[in-house]
Amino acid sequence: MTTTHILFETASGYALFERVQSEEIGQKLDEVQARILDLGKFGKMLKLKSFMPFKNAVHALENQNDVSEGVCNESLKAFLEMNLPKSSKKAKVCLGVDEKNLAGSIKQELSIDCASDELVHELVRGLRFHSEKLLAQLKEGDLEKAQLGLGHSYSRAKVKFNVHRSDNMIIQAIALIDQLDKDINTFSMRIREWYGWHFPELVKIVNDNGQYARLAKLIKNKSQLTEEHLPAMEEIVDQDAGKAKQILDAARSSMGTDISEIDMINIQSFADRVISLTDYRKRLHGYLQSRMNQVAPNLAALIGEMVGARLISHAGSLTNLSKYPASTVQILGAEKALFRALKTRGNTPKYGLIYHSSFIGKAGQKNKGRISRFLANKCSIASRIDCFTETPTTRFGEAMRKQVEDRLAFYETGAPPSKNIDVMQSVINELRDADEDTPMADVESEKPSKSDKKEKKEKKEKKKEKKEKKEEDEDTAMDVDVSEKKDKKKKKKKSSK
Amino acid sequence: MGFGDRGGRGGRGGRGGGRGGARGGARGGFGGGRGGGRGGFGGVQKRGGFGGAGGRGRGGARGGRGGARGGARGGAKVIVEPHRHAGVFVARGKEDLLVTKNLVPGESVYGEKRISVEGGDGTKTEYRVWNPFRSKLAAGILGGVDHIHIGPGKRVLYLGGASGTTVSHVADVVGPEGLVYAVEFSHRSGRDLINMAKKRTNVIPIIEDARHPHKYRMLVGMVDVIFADVAQPDQARIIALNAHNFLKNGGHIVISIKANCIDSTVEAAKVFASEVKKLQQEKIKPQEQLTLEPYERDHALVVGVYRPPPKKN
Repeated sequence: MTTTHILFETASGYALFERVQSEEIGQKLDEVQARILDLGKFGKMLKLKSFMPFKNAVHALENQNDVSEGVCNESLKAFLEMNLPKSSKKAKVCLGVDEKNLAGSIKQELSIDCASDELVHELVRGLRFHSEKLLAQLKEGDLEKAQLGLGHSYSRAKVKFNVHRSDNMIIQAIALIDQLDKDINTFSMRIREWYGWHFPELVKIVNDNGQYARLAKLIKNKSQLTEEHLPAMEEIVDQDAGKAKQILDAARSSMGTDISEIDMINIQSFADRVISLTDYRKRLHGYLQSRMNQVAPNLAALIGEMVGARLISHAGSLTNLSKYPASTVQILGAEKALFRALKTRGNTPKYGLIYHSSFIGKAGQKNKGRISRFLANKCSIASRIDCFTETPTTRFGEAMRKQVEDRLAFYETGAPPSKNIDVMQSVINELRDADEDTPMADVESEKPSKSDKKEKKEKKEKKKEKKEKKEEDEDTAMDVDVSEKKDKKKKKKKSSK
Repeated sequence: MGFGDRGGRGGRGGRGGGRGGARGGARGGFGGGRGGGRGGFGGVQKRGGFGGAGGRGRGGARGGRGGARGGARGGAKVIVEPHRHAGVFVARGKEDLLVTKNLVPGESVYGEKRISVEGGDGTKTEYRVWNPFRSKLAAGILGGVDHIHIGPGKRVLYLGGASGTTVSHVADVVGPEGLVYAVEFSHRSGRDLINMAKKRTNVIPIIEDARHPHKYRMLVGMVDVIFADVAQPDQARIIALNAHNFLKNGGHIVISIKANCIDSTVEAAKVFASEVKKLQQEKIKPQEQLTLEPYERDHALVVGVYRPPPKKN
């Protein structure tokens, strides 16, 4: 089939060209290229059939958005219907479109044959090269102005409509928490130093930074500390009466220097700052938790809010994280060590950020790497579920957490963990049952409290999850295989001994 | 340098500083020294959000001058001469500086220094200093590249525009008659790019993935040069895709290759060779290659021509 027309999209509007004559093959031969570059000859190859300028900036932006997504806009449809001759047996019409997706959707909308091959590409190149001359309606510089305006509005819209809005909030929050932790630590050290001149014994008794600042604020001048202060002090040190008494005794026999009123006022105001900062950090932590439970509930349930948020922050967004393979998730945050190992052909790191999850600390020394790999697999699955599911639920995350615990137990005691396919199936069943309001409790008896929560699950989603599940099965199946093999090896070793 | 400041290029400094004696004697004398400072982000990505150190990014350039209006002020002493490359100038003062003619007199884009020179007839021309430690193109020029192909009146497709620091200089070079299409994917740095482009009408900002040139085909016309500083493993492919769509026959490409971004396990020279080979397969004929030492480590600037005109015998 020969291409008879060419669609050319510009920033000012759509243009339709009719192809008069040109070679079908050998587009890259020098002669053919020379013909394309020569305006006179090229003008004979393609004739402008019609041109539809965009009405205004908004209209142009709409069309630009659709064109970039490969969608056939209403106005493009109307334009083509109006100007493209009907296909008959004698003269078949075939529209050349530079981009395949747009070609596909035009075909679907208008049932016009579309082509987007090399010939079309070369012709569009030629059109772009000569566009200023061929589009007679446009004055010189008009196209650039249109491009400038459209470029700005398109880019602004892109920046304004950011798909990662809530992810960005998490990233900022976790960064702020890390910063606050550092600062609070620094400030607390300072207040310990400062107040320590007056009451050096307090440092030894109270370890917690927040408590110390509160006590410094309460006690003020140690010589005026009496039994009356005991209940207030107890409140600060978590109702530990012994500790409060200890402080009182220490204050009476303290070797600290006396301190003037004005100095004390300054210490107090600094203590106030530290206290308010610690409170603020607590609130921020709560905010991060609630945000994580909205954005990535399964990930949060599996690995905890903080580590989950760090993973998202490192990947840039939840979508990015879900696109990573599990092996990348495993060493996320250990890039320096990884690249050093790759360069020197040494051992690659076993874990990055996920080291901070409690699971790895629980595992024995030689199992740390294994559990890290297993946990990374689960994190990767959890982030995918979180990213692509429509109705948020924490069930998968909880089930996976249990799986990781089982795996830990397996390494310790050898108790066989349940198969992944069974676990996931039971979660899906459970969700379906919760939907139908008939609780079924043959498996997963460890979390009955949540089962009365109604979760709506659409069928589509289930399919998707099943698909994901299949993938999971494969990887955990492999996982099990490997560990079994290792076990066998060990047994052999033992028996040989 | 506050938070909102341009991140500069994280790079190098980052690794070092770290935490020298962070908790200098916890119990004892807390007052202990704080080593280092942070000196940039230093992650994998080269454009950190708010890279701590900001401004001086790579440090060293004119560092140690004690800040405050460093040498290049005070019109009389500085003479600006045109560089071998059209549109680029050299300011000869205490030390030579690469400069471009400021399109928007009176304003710096990223806190760079400006030099005002009085012409013979009392007119003032303002130039902006172009720091080779922050711009690979400037590093290439100082390294002695034969042709940059970016000159007055040219149309340039700039892939990887980032915050628009180098883009602004390229815009200065092409002048009001030329045009720069700056493509950048990151929304964060794209914001700065758009703000820069507001002041320079010869820059068209495009916030889109350079891997998909068809997405912005409506916004870009045919160009004379593609400059690419994308630092992606598949950058040869990205450049070829864009060249196929927007680059004139016989147009040029100027690309900076960071060896570590493509493959960190093999040595830099091999990476450059393989990238050049990839370009050749896409009908881009390499013309010259030079290293960006001492400004960048393991970087190369490659200049090539796309679909070169047939040789006449």
